[in-house]
Amino acid sequence: MFSQLIINGISSGSLYALVALAMVIIYKASEVPNFAQGEMATLSVFVAWHFVNAQFLPFYQAVAAALLFAFAVGVLFEFTVLRRAEKPSILELIVMTLGLQMFIYGIIGWKWGAEQKTFSLPIAEDSVVQLGPVVIGWLNIITIVTSLLCVLLLYLFFTHTKLGTAMRAVQMNSTAARINGIRVHRIMSLTWGLSAVIGTIAGILFAPVSPLDPQLMWDPLLKGFAAGVLGGMTSPFGAVLGGYILGIIENLFGAYISLEFKSVVAFALIVLVLWFKPSGLFSRHYERKV
Amino acid sequence: MNDFFTVTGLTRTFGGVVAIDALDFAQKKGSIFSIIGPNGAGKTTLFNCISGIYRPDSGEICFQGRRIDGLKPDAIARHGIARTFQNLELFFRMTTMENLMLGRHIHMRTNIWHGLTMFHKNSTAAREEAEHREKVEHIIDLLDLQSARDVPVGALPYGRQKLVELGRALALEPSLLLLDEPSAGMTSDERQDLFFWIKDIQQELGVSILMIEHNMQMVMDISDRVLAIDFGKKLVEGTPEEVAAHPEVIKAYLGED
Amino acid sequence: MDMKRHYYEDIQIFQKPVHVFWFVILLIGLVILPLVTRNYTMSLVNFIAINVIVTLGLNLLVGYTGQISLGHAGFVAIGAYATVLLMQHLGLNFFPALVLAGFVAAGFGFLLGLPALRLEGPYLAIATLGFGMAVTQIIGRSTFFGGRMGLKVPKINIAGITLSSDKELYIVIISITVLMAFAMRNLTRSRVGRALIAIRESDIAAETLGVNLAWYKTLSFAVSAFYAGVAGGLLAIIFGYINPSIFDFVMSILFLAMVVVGGAGAILGSILGGIVVTFLDLKLNAVTSMPLIGDLLREISTRWMSVSGLPNFRSVLFGILLILFVVFEPHGLYGIWLRIKKYWKTWPF
Ligand SMILES: Nc1ncnc2c1ncn2[C@@H]1O[C@H](COP(=O)(O)OP(=O)(O)O)[C@@H](O)[C@H]1O
Ligand SMILES: [Mg+2]
Repeated sequence: MFSQLIINGISSGSLYALVALAMVIIYKASEVPNFAQGEMATLSVFVAWHFVNAQFLPFYQAVAAALLFAFAVGVLFEFTVLRRAEKPSILELIVMTLGLQMFIYGIIGWKWGAEQKTFSLPIAEDSVVQLGPVVIGWLNIITIVTSLLCVLLLYLFFTHTKLGTAMRAVQMNSTAARINGIRVHRIMSLTWGLSAVIGTIAGILFAPVSPLDPQLMWDPLLKGFAAGVLGGMTSPFGAVLGGYILGIIENLFGAYISLEFKSVVAFALIVLVLWFKPSGLFSRHYERKV
Repeated sequence: MNDFFTVTGLTRTFGGVVAIDALDFAQKKGSIFSIIGPNGAGKTTLFNCISGIYRPDSGEICFQGRRIDGLKPDAIARHGIARTFQNLELFFRMTTMENLMLGRHIHMRTNIWHGLTMFHKNSTAAREEAEHREKVEHIIDLLDLQSARDVPVGALPYGRQKLVELGRALALEPSLLLLDEPSAGMTSDERQDLFFWIKDIQQELGVSILMIEHNMQMVMDISDRVLAIDFGKKLVEGTPEEVAAHPEVIKAYLGED
Repeated sequence: MDMKRHYYEDIQIFQKPVHVFWFVILLIGLVILPLVTRNYTMSLVNFIAINVIVTLGLNLLVGYTGQISLGHAGFVAIGAYATVLLMQHLGLNFFPALVLAGFVAAGFGFLLGLPALRLEGPYLAIATLGFGMAVTQIIGRSTFFGGRMGLKVPKINIAGITLSSDKELYIVIISITVLMAFAMRNLTRSRVGRALIAIRESDIAAETLGVNLAWYKTLSFAVSAFYAGVAGGLLAIIFGYINPSIFDFVMSILFLAMVVVGGAGAILGSILGGIVVTFLDLKLNAVTSMPLIGDLLREISTRWMSVSGLPNFRSVLFGILLILFVVFEPHGLYGIWLRIKKYWKTWPF
């Protein structure tokens, strides 16, 4: 029972970790929590669904197309909107992402209507693997493995490629990066694109267990946020860990304490953590210089 | 010794960097006390500790016989310590008048209810407001800021912005005024005026002044005592003449002339 | 220059006689409005006025103090439910219940403000977002609050007269709105409002001048929540029936849109934003019946999108509006208004 709960927790935690990771890499670069993260992913999942449903593309090509699409959306938003604003305050940045969120949400509803659709992976729905006392669904395995793979690839990307290093430089100090000849705007656009892709992967993994509607990613987004905050919003490592912690705690809480209020756990956890450590678990407190 | 303003064994670190290292000094009431030292010596950090923005790691800061280290900045302001900032911290979208009115904040009593019900000229809040605006007007006159009175300070030239910050600190009617590089970025004319104002503030308003300043001419001319620090440690403290005679100080400042 | 100037002139509500003139015109307009319009229009005006109240409060928090709230619908919900429950269970009259509900909301605002002290930008956004969601979740799950089904709002009567028509309610609502707008104007030009603006501009400088950040930030939350709470009580009355789904995230975002579109940090901005965004929102509900635009949208829908999804056009438009205003007109309609005024002053030169 207990180990079963842990596995389920890790599985949902994997999704939160991906969303949190997507959130954190943007936050580090642009200092904005991207409230449109969820909608960007949802839109891309809908695009994949559309391709599959219209028998236009087979599943894997459709997913690839959706990821490409997500990348384009991210780049486009940075290029057409964020870059146009003149020295936006944090508040204004937040409002812009909220605007994008509403915009995409409306577009999805307008294009595909409100009735729920289903999007499933090409695997047998309830195929499971028995590991001792624990039963793991194939879907969970795919989710866990895919997200671990993503995290690993991202790690290698950030540490071993030129582009990844440039992205990290921009995240650390964009002025210094600019002085060192890095095209900060271009890197920023690419960061938004990359983030959208990661979010979409989470969306595609989540869609099979949830009805596909415009609100698909609301819950994972909030949890991803919570995970990011737990981890400190500036630490990719913290974000991933925060995701797993949240997933596990949430599942245990749902099983042993109250299923009803399971969804509130995330926020209770945020409040607790921030109360004791206002900058999150894995980030250093920053004092503004005057 | 004296018990107006004393700093004892003050230490503050950032990660591995020791910004202030067991610093001691004391200032007499009514005096001008200058602090000099190269960039990164820890001067601003010292001010931030005094005004409560940073919490010292250890050491004591006493003002008029009371410990003030570890207090919140607003509590320290209420003790009568005001400051300016090296890199202006003005309320840029507010006018000069409004900026200076914040200096009156601790002297005013208007609360939320008075504020909401300030419907007419004779309401409590309105009367208090008028009274304090009149006081601020004197400071505006003193610093020659009339033409900037109703202009958002973001639109003023740098030299005037520095004056607005000085005026704002003065409006608090402090007993101790901390000035962080007051003449930096000013033209030489502006600097001349500033020189006389600082003297006026000390002599006519009786305010004690603790000042960080790079302009040695000014430091030598107006200071009662000077403290030179480097790497957060005291290099030498004494009268301007004594400090100017110190070999390290000569090397750092006078030798390059 | 006159020697004995009175410094209250600097901050008086009406800087020039012409302002008094316009205000009197406005008042007369508000008085004759119910005499010349239909009941339906009145209900629209009532709804707009209530949203103006929320916007005034939210603007204090967002525009003046520089904090953020993505959960203001939560305070509105608290105000609405508190008003109804106080009337039902304690048998209070409408006005005491409304004021008390405002204070209940303010209390929650204060509580939310406490952690908010330590939180900045993104963290605060998330905390307030969570708050808004938690409120409706808890209301929805508790039978005391009528659960998902909601509560029926009792008829209100004032001095023995039962108010039922929109015109009668209008008198109550518009008086409260005008009063609260003035109170907010007062607050923002007083010592307290100045401290809040100072916090927005530089919290460190404000602190070193003796502004207690903790107190003023929570105060800003509390006052803002008070306005939302009172608005919630009035909303309950005009709806006649409340349930948690009314006070959703989209509502919170709409309030934020009112502040941004109207103009952050300006009373007139709150009023303009409240009016324009609410009006747009209501009009968009019936967008297909609009001439020209309706046809165009239907055409687009059948060709590329879907007809059944057309109501979502509302979100699309608000999203675009939010983005456009932040990018091109950060001072909102108020900023545009200032420019027009400047233009007229120099006209025709
Ligand atoms: N908020 C801070 N975080 C990290 N290091 C700081 C901070 N403030 C000051 N320092 C460090 O403390 C040292 C002293 O800085 P400062 O007091 O500003 O010097 P000064 O004013 O004498 O030029 C410097 O090495 C600076 O980098
Ligand atoms: Mg300095």
